[in-house]
Amino acid sequence: MDQQELRDWEAKCIQEEPPACRAGCPLNVDARAFVQAAAKDNMAAARTVLERSMPLAGIVARLCEAPCERFCVRGPLGGPIAIGLLERACVHLTTAPAKILRLPERPHKVTMVGAGPSSLAAAFELAKKGYPVTVLHQEPGPGARLRQLPQEILPSPILTEELQRLSGLGVVFQQVEKLDAALVASVTTEAIYLGLDDTLEPDLKTMLGEPDPFTFALSQSGWFCAGLDAEEAPDRLITDVAQGKEAAVSIDRFLQGASLTAGRTAPRCGNTDLFTNTHGIPARDRISPAVLEKYSREEAVQEAGRCIDCQCLECVRHCTYLAEYKAYPKVYARRVYNNSAIVKGVHQANRFINSCSLCRQCETLCPKDFSMADLCLDARRQMVRENRMPASAHWFTLEEMHSARDEGAFIRHAPGTTASRILFFPGCQLAGIRPQQTKALYDHLLLKEPETGIWLDCCGVPAHWAGRVDEFASVCKDIEKTWSSMGKPKVLAACSTCLKILREHVPAVTVDSVWKVLASEPVPGAKALPPLALTDPCNARLDTETQSAVRSLLQATGQQLTPLPMSGKLTECCGFGGLMENAAPATAKGVREARALQSDTGFLTYCAMCRDQLAKTGKPVAYLLDILFPVAAVAADAPPARISDRRINRRRLKKELLARYASSELPPEKPWQQLSLKIPESVLPLLEERRILEDDIRRVLYKKAEGGRYLVHAVDSVRLASARLGSVTFWVEYTLQDDIYLIRRCWSHRMTIAGGGEE
Amino acid sequence: MKLSFLPSDMNWTCAPCGEPLQPGIVELRYMENVFKVELPVCPKCGTVLISEDLALGKMLEVEQLLEDK
Repeated sequence: MDQQELRDWEAKCIQEEPPACRAGCPLNVDARAFVQAAAKDNMAAARTVLERSMPLAGIVARLCEAPCERFCVRGPLGGPIAIGLLERACVHLTTAPAKILRLPERPHKVTMVGAGPSSLAAAFELAKKGYPVTVLHQEPGPGARLRQLPQEILPSPILTEELQRLSGLGVVFQQVEKLDAALVASVTTEAIYLGLDDTLEPDLKTMLGEPDPFTFALSQSGWFCAGLDAEEAPDRLITDVAQGKEAAVSIDRFLQGASLTAGRTAPRCGNTDLFTNTHGIPARDRISPAVLEKYSREEAVQEAGRCIDCQCLECVRHCTYLAEYKAYPKVYARRVYNNSAIVKGVHQANRFINSCSLCRQCETLCPKDFSMADLCLDARRQMVRENRMPASAHWFTLEEMHSARDEGAFIRHAPGTTASRILFFPGCQLAGIRPQQTKALYDHLLLKEPETGIWLDCCGVPAHWAGRVDEFASVCKDIEKTWSSMGKPKVLAACSTCLKILREHVPAVTVDSVWKVLASEPVPGAKALPPLALTDPCNARLDTETQSAVRSLLQATGQQLTPLPMSGKLTECCGFGGLMENAAPATAKGVREARALQSDTGFLTYCAMCRDQLAKTGKPVAYLLDILFPVAAVAADAPPARISDRRINRRRLKKELLARYASSELPPEKPWQQLSLKIPESVLPLLEERRILEDDIRRVLYKKAEGGRYLVHAVDSVRLASARLGSVTFWVEYTLQDDIYLIRRCWSHRMTIAGGGEE
Repeated sequence: MKLSFLPSDMNWTCAPCGEPLQPGIVELRYMENVFKVELPVCPKCGTVLISEDLALGKMLEVEQLLEDK
């Protein structure tokens, strides 16, 4: 990823776009933060938010017409937040900050001709920046029309106080008789601001012409003019103040010799890309003040509490993984970029990158289609390319893929045939998790079409998810070659992941969902279960045809489905996808537990891995074939297949299928497979958690039995054997009785022991 | 600095050497890094004991650190 790509990624995430209220404020006040602080009864913090963007907040907040309210997202749900009333409550309940920071004094001076709100705002902004400012005003004092307001709206002590704040910033007030052309001619400062919201004499006004509507610069160099709104304009005060503030920006740029326009953004006028989902937010009526037009503290807090706190976070709200890292995609893109850019030092985001389930729910929810899957997959590929992918990140599932493609792989035309019109591809997880149902489904397909071959294999998705481009390409090539050697029959896949992978990455292969074929006529003997929530596999997210086929299959059996809002194209991952379970088991646990909470009933899936992942939560989870073939059904509350079971089941299924062929030779059992083990129930979870297979234990013990070294405990005769299998050293603690190994503990490590007897 | 990871239970004997394990300096390697540590070793054949606590504790921690996992 280069910097431009990073910027493109960042631009896609709209979470940092301003909320509508802020976008609608001519002063760019962070009204959301202001209201949120008020909702927490922290009026001092709310005042700080105002002071950050609002010049002379003591005056302006009392008079602000709050055009922001027109854009408030709460509007249709009980009326917009009364931001204007909250501003008044806030400044009423708090005091102005004691000291305002002023930058060191600058040499260029500025004169304000007129002392209306726009002039005072401009003077405030420029004085803060260190410019010596002189405000020329007429009798009876600075403020112009501010002095004519009723005391209950703007008490004169407040006006005096705010003018003193200006004096405190070094602003000099100078009374003049008239604001006319002669006066301006006598001004010698480099910049002049002319405030039309004071009474300028006609001879001066005619000299001015039209200022630039964006920078408020006049054609005379160094002259700026604003406060242009007519007296009857609806938002006159806040517009005048905003114009004064903008003119001050121009004056500052002018005095520094900088461009008046470069990098300057136009007022948003309420326009923002921030998306806020209001679905499910109940309407709440605006709080009416007991005393006319004035909130008490309690009323203000209550009213501010109606604020929706507009955020997008569409993806984060639904994804346990995205929520776990406590930010949102824009921040994550930066983290991924930084992670890739590090040459030396710790890569802080490796686990983050390797944990995404790549399920693509985020991009379906995102109004701008931000894809964490693409972001993370690209980063994984880069890590592999640069040889810095942690070796253990996706190790276990990659090993399982290798096993499924080797000892678990099997392809044949149907017994007694020499060609296949159909090739059934159950997928390695269905074969490993539900071997008997795999056979039942195959037999059913054989009844429909006798020339249906069987193909046990893995589609290679673990290599794809792990970012191993070359290895995945090699699997795809191998799959295409194998398929061609079978006469290029139509492949029927049971697993949505296999289906997606074959469609997208081995396009030569003709492939469809087995569920679509099954939906074409009723499955005899199918029997509905109690009502269940149907969870679509994440890899079927966009496969609406398969989704419909499954639903019509279920309808034909009379199966009732309970509602599950996040299904179909919005469905969620079970925690296995993208190798999340490998890279971050705790995150995967959180993902499946969050999913389990989404329905009061049990679940129903048509992905064997989803079934087992969700079953880990203790929730009853049925697999589609439990309904279609009740004779081979597994109880919905049965525990998931263990990691060792999956390997053993694949081998057994292969053996059983092979036995159907008269002339075939069964593959010889490996010598280590013949060792007798006894693993107490209490040790099984430990093996599961540590990803140690019974196969691993047998191979370690076999090596020991074949002359390998082992240790014996001097007191209780417990034995300890170890062996290096691939990139991992396994240790097995056991006792031996009548040729049966009773397993006590097992552990492993990846470090090697130099000269320590490791083979 | 001597890194010592001797388990509290040193009552292990190497089979078939028949020698009780004794503290010894061993080289552990991972991703081109070498660590010299003190572990129980068979004085005759050099077989080393890596205890469960060490494998799942410090060793795992260092492996993950080196992997940047």
